[in-house]
Amino acid sequence: MRGHKDLRSVIAATFACGVLALVLPIDLLRLVFALPLTLFFPGYALSAAIFARDPIDRAKLLLLSVGASLAILALGGLLLNFTGGLQAGTWALLLVLVVFAASRAAALRRPPAGTTALALPRMRLSALTAAVLAVAALSAAGAFALAFIPLPAKHAIGYTELWLQPLDSGVRVGVGSDEQERMAYRLRVSFRRGRASVIRRFALQPGESHLLQLAAEPAGANRVPVVVALYRSQQPNRVYRRVSGWIPPQGAQP
Amino acid sequence: MDRPNSRTGWIPPLALCTGVGLLVCSVADALSRATLGVSPLIYWAGILILAVPTFYRLTSEDASPRERLVLACMLGLALYGVKVMRDAPIFTFSDELIHGFNVHQIAASHHLFHSNPTLPATPHYPGLEGATSALTSLTGLSSFVAGVLLVGAARLVLAASLFLLFQRVSRSARVAGLGVAIYAGNFNFLFWGAQFSYESLALPLLLLVMMGLAEREAAPPTALKAWGAPVVLGMAAIVVTHHLTSYAMAGVLVALSLAYWHVRRSWRPANPWLFAVLGIALAAFWLVAVASSTVGYLSPVLTDAVKAVGNTIAGEKPPRGLFQGGSSTAGTTPLAARAIALLAVAMLAAGLPFGLWQVRRHLRKQPFAIVFALAAIGFFATLALRLAPAAWESGNRASEFLFVGLAFVLACAAFEALRRWPRSRMSRPLVAGGLALVLVGGAIAGWPWDSQLARPLRISSHGQEIVSPPLGMAEWARDQIPRGRLAATTADAGLLLTPGGVTAISGNSPDVEDLLAEEHLSGWELPLLRRNRLRYVVADQREVSSDSLRGYYFSEQGSRNAQLMPKSVIAKFNRVPGATRLYTNGTITVFDLGAQR
Repeated sequence: MRGHKDLRSVIAATFACGVLALVLPIDLLRLVFALPLTLFFPGYALSAAIFARDPIDRAKLLLLSVGASLAILALGGLLLNFTGGLQAGTWALLLVLVVFAASRAAALRRPPAGTTALALPRMRLSALTAAVLAVAALSAAGAFALAFIPLPAKHAIGYTELWLQPLDSGVRVGVGSDEQERMAYRLRVSFRRGRASVIRRFALQPGESHLLQLAAEPAGANRVPVVVALYRSQQPNRVYRRVSGWIPPQGAQP
Repeated sequence: MDRPNSRTGWIPPLALCTGVGLLVCSVADALSRATLGVSPLIYWAGILILAVPTFYRLTSEDASPRERLVLACMLGLALYGVKVMRDAPIFTFSDELIHGFNVHQIAASHHLFHSNPTLPATPHYPGLEGATSALTSLTGLSSFVAGVLLVGAARLVLAASLFLLFQRVSRSARVAGLGVAIYAGNFNFLFWGAQFSYESLALPLLLLVMMGLAEREAAPPTALKAWGAPVVLGMAAIVVTHHLTSYAMAGVLVALSLAYWHVRRSWRPANPWLFAVLGIALAAFWLVAVASSTVGYLSPVLTDAVKAVGNTIAGEKPPRGLFQGGSSTAGTTPLAARAIALLAVAMLAAGLPFGLWQVRRHLRKQPFAIVFALAAIGFFATLALRLAPAAWESGNRASEFLFVGLAFVLACAAFEALRRWPRSRMSRPLVAGGLALVLVGGAIAGWPWDSQLARPLRISSHGQEIVSPPLGMAEWARDQIPRGRLAATTADAGLLLTPGGVTAISGNSPDVEDLLAEEHLSGWELPLLRRNRLRYVVADQREVSSDSLRGYYFSEQGSRNAQLMPKSVIAKFNRVPGATRLYTNGTITVFDLGAQR
C-alpha cells in the first residue's frame, strides 16, 4: 500500500479503534473509538476501493463512507449470525477485515499516480468564528445534558411499591418509596391467615427501599399462605398496599 | 446577505441559532417534565429559532453548494435532536420498545431471528438491530444510546442523500437546499420517522440508493459499474432491514426504469431496469425464504385499508375526524394549531401545480423528475386515506416516501418564484415563512399536540431519582421474573419489553386487552392465559395504560392521565384460587397465576 497514505492511515486507525474499543474499561471512551470503527472506516475503505479509478468529490465520499458503513453493519450482523455470533470481538474482527480487504483492493485498483484520498479541508477560522461555533456547540451540548437530568415534578403523583418473593422456607419482602416526600410505614407479614405475624416499622426517603427476609415454619404437606400488608403512619388502620402468596411458591413441591 | 467568511459562509451564526433553538426546546421539555404547565409556544419558538434562519439562508442566491449541504445536514440533525431530547434517556415510542427488545435478545444470545411477542415480523428484518448490536457490544452502552447514534447517522445520510439527489436531478444546489427544507415538513419527519425503528434506517438507505442511481446516470461510461456497487450494497441492506421500504424500493426502481424508457426509448444503461429486477428478486426472496410472517402482518392492514376506503366512500361508515388521538386519554388540538396544519397542507397543494409546471418546462427529459412528479401527485391521494379510519396508517406510511417527490416539485416552484422576483424584498422572507409554516404544520399534523413535549418519566425528589409507576414495575419484573411471560396492557407491555427485557403480550390477539379491562372473570380468560403460557398478569387500573403514546409516565394531579378504571379490574384476579399478588404500586399489580391459570 505504498503511496496511499489515506489507506494506510485508515487501516491503522481501524486496528487501533478495534483494539481500544475492546479493551478500554470506560464505556464512553470505548464509544469514542467504536464510532469511527463502525460508522465511518468500513464505508470509507469500501468507497475508496469502488471509486479507485473514478474519483468522486469529497461530499459524496463522506456520504458514502457513512452510508456504506451503515449498510455493512446491517449486512454484517447477518454474516456474523451464521459464523461467530454477534459479539464485541467478532464485530471488531469483521470490521477490521472489511477495512483491510477494501483498502487492499483500493490500493491495487488505483492508478499509480492517482488517489481518491479524503483531503480534509484546511479550515482557517477567525477567533470570532471559532467563538461562535464554540457557543453553538455548548448550547447544543447543554440542551442534550438538560434532557438527561431528572427534574423535580411537584404535580407528579408519587407511589410506594410493595413486592413479595416467596421462597422454599420463607419469604422476601421489599418496599420501595417513589413518593415525593419522606414516608413512615408499618409492615405486617402474616403467615397462616394471621396466626403468626411479624411487624416492622421504618421510614423511607424518596428513592429508598427496604428489604427483609423472613423464615416461615413448615406446615407439613400444606402450603403456608402469607399476606403482607403495608400501612402509612398517617393512616395506620387503612391498608395502603397488600401482596400475598404461598410458601413454598407455586411450581415448587410443598 | 453577504458572506461573513468566504469558506464557512453563514454556517457559524446559523449553527449558533440551531444551538440556541435546541436549548429553547430542551428548556420547554424540561418545564413540561417538571409538570409546570409550560406553554407550548416556548417549544415552537425553539423550533422556529432552529429552523427559520437556515431556511432564509437556503433561499439566498449566493450560498455555495457546500454551505447549503452543511445547512441541510445541520437542519436534519437538529430536528432529530428535538426528538431525542424529548425521550432521553429511554425509548418511549411503541415501535422503539419493540426494536429495543430485539436488541436485548441479540445481546443475550449473540444471534438474530428471535421471536418478538408484540410484532413477530420485526426479528425477520434484523438490519437495524444487528447494526445496533455492533455498537452495544463494542461499547457496553445501552440500546438507547446506541440506537440514537445509529439513527442519527442514518438521519445524516438521509439529509445529505436527499440534497445530492435533488442537486443532481435539478442541477441546482439552491433547489436541493429548498427541497431538503420542504422535506423536513413531512408529517413524520420530526417524531415518527426519527424513532428507533427499522424504517428510520431503511429510508435513508433508499435515498442513498436513489442518489447513487442519479450519479450513475450522470457518470461517464467508465464509472457506471462503480456506482452500481454502492447501489447494490444499499439495496441488500434495505431488504434485510424493512419490508415496506424494500417494496417501495422495488416500486421506485420499476417506475424509474419505465420513466427512462419513456424519455429515451432505451433499455440500455443508465436505465436501471436490471436494478429493478434485482430489487424485486431480493425483496421476494427475503419475503419467501426468511420473513413469510410479514404477509400475515401486512395483509390485514392493507385489506382493512381498502375496505375502509370503500366503506367511507359508500357512506356506510363516517369519515375519520382529523386531529383525533384515537383514545379517551388523548388531548385535543387547539383550533389555532389545526388551522396551521391545514394551512400548511393547503400551501403544499397550492404550490403543486406551479411545481409540476416547472418540472414539465425544465425537467421533462429527466426520469427522476418524472417519478418525483408522480409521487407528488400520489401524496395528495394518501391524504384522502387519512379520512378512512382503517386506512389512516397506510396513508401515513406512504406519505413519508411520496413526500420526497413533493419536496422536489415544490422546491422547483420555490426556486422559480425566487428567480422570477430576485429584487423583491418580500420574496425570500415569504418563501422562508412558507417553509416554516410547512415545518410546523407538518409536525402538528404528524404527531398529537399533547405529545409534542416531554413528560415526566424519571423525576427527582429530595435529590433522588424516582421513576414512573409502569417503569418501576418493568424494572421490578426485569430483576425478579426475567424469564416470565406476562399479559399486560399496551403501555405496560412496551416497558416490560424495553427496558424490562421480559416477554410481554398485549393487544387483542390473543385478547389480553379485554381480559385485563373487564371487571369480572367470565370463564374464557384463564384458559386463554394457559394456552398462551402466560403465567403472570399485569393488572393496571390506569385508563392511560392502554395508550401506547401516553401510558408510560407519571400521572399528574387532576390531569386526564390520572383517571382510573374501577378497582375490580385488579381485584378480579384476587379471586383466582392460588393466585399470588407478587407486586403492587397502587395502580399496577402483578399476579402470578401459576398452575391455576
